[in-house]
Amino acid sequence: MYRADSPALEHTFTTSPAGVPGQKQKTAFAFDLDGTITKAELLPMIASELGLEPEMRLLTELTMAGMIPFEDSFRLRFAILRTAGLDRIRSVVSEVEFDPDIEAFIRENRERSFVVTGNLDLWVQPLQERLGCRFFTSTAMTDAHGHVTGLDTVMRKNIAALELKEHFERLVAIGDGFNDVPMFDVADIGIAFYGIHSAPDALVSVSNYVALDGKSLCRLLNTL
Amino acid sequence: MPTVKHAVIAAAGLGSRLGQGKPKCLVEVEGVKILKHLLAQLSEVEDVRVIVGFEEKAVISELKQLGRDVIVVRNPNFRSTTTLHSYTLGCQHMSGDCLFMDGDLLLEPASFARFLAACEPGAPKLAITQTKTKDAVFAITEGDQIVGFRREEPTEYEWSNIAWLPVTTFDTIGNTPVYEHLKAYLPIIGHEIVSYEIDTAEDMRLALSHTDLFDLKALAS
Repeated sequence: MYRADSPALEHTFTTSPAGVPGQKQKTAFAFDLDGTITKAELLPMIASELGLEPEMRLLTELTMAGMIPFEDSFRLRFAILRTAGLDRIRSVVSEVEFDPDIEAFIRENRERSFVVTGNLDLWVQPLQERLGCRFFTSTAMTDAHGHVTGLDTVMRKNIAALELKEHFERLVAIGDGFNDVPMFDVADIGIAFYGIHSAPDALVSVSNYVALDGKSLCRLLNTL
Repeated sequence: MPTVKHAVIAAAGLGSRLGQGKPKCLVEVEGVKILKHLLAQLSEVEDVRVIVGFEEKAVISELKQLGRDVIVVRNPNFRSTTTLHSYTLGCQHMSGDCLFMDGDLLLEPASFARFLAACEPGAPKLAITQTKTKDAVFAITEGDQIVGFRREEPTEYEWSNIAWLPVTTFDTIGNTPVYEHLKAYLPIIGHEIVSYEIDTAEDMRLALSHTDLFDLKALAS
């Protein structure tokens, strides 16, 4: 058993045209994926495809309410959803709609925009290909035939944020959920996003700004 | 393209002198929340930032409901800081000039529109209004310039708590009232508008006897 081979997710910071090796670049933007860049939450979408909506909704509610730690919740969700084949999951994921303003901002700022998501690398790969920036994700283990055999790492967003802080002077974090709190804790500027739902109070309480839609969010990002 | 591209509305305070137990921007006059009235006056301004503090959740929900694409800026220290601090947070990372205003104002739309239209880059300007209350910041004027402020001895005009200023005005601040901070930048041109500030129950009564001025009917839903 070994870690999923996903070269598309690899990225070396020193190859950035704007960067000088050994010298920090100015500002990086770390985006949450589900409900921030995407206009729908991915896991409920997959669950709906599998007829497991009520189970997934209960888990989501408990997680959003802070009653189950994100890591445990993700392990449970993974256990529920792994029964579906990878191709089926990817085909559902690849249909998700992006917020058009956020998508345009990321495309224009690919070298300093990053997606930091608790979602699984193999599941969200189609979105990484669409956006063309680096993703930090939870990771899967696969067997020699490419079948998912288990979870390798569950994303802790503060770890990804700390890695970005090693390469950039300033980190701006954008997210809408409980699991973004550790990322906001590390970031210099936190922006809670009220996209498809309101951000939890815990996240708002550690944020500097609240953006009410993608358009105003990107207007703010362009001034930072 | 209008000159005024950025506006900051300070709506973080407790509003304790009015005593309604909610942020003053959420107080309703003729069925219209002050926040909605102010945003309507800023419909041509691209970048509007609302500074929230006290009861921030209620203000954010109201903004989301109003559907205007404003940016919400949090001032978690609203209890121990003055409006000056909200202005600094509001214009952080901006450049050029910005319109600064309090979130507890009722404006006569036409006179405010004239103020907005008269804003020019690099030319600071303060809105003043005919003195209505004893508890105001009175403007000492010489010709069209404001040369001083005082709290005692009413003059003909009081400051409206609306200013068109370079954002650098709020780079380094203390914790004084805004007008004390602005004294260092005087003289600044004054421009008369018709406005009512809602600080106290008496202010509210006064404004309520002039509601026809504020064009609220069009906004009532």
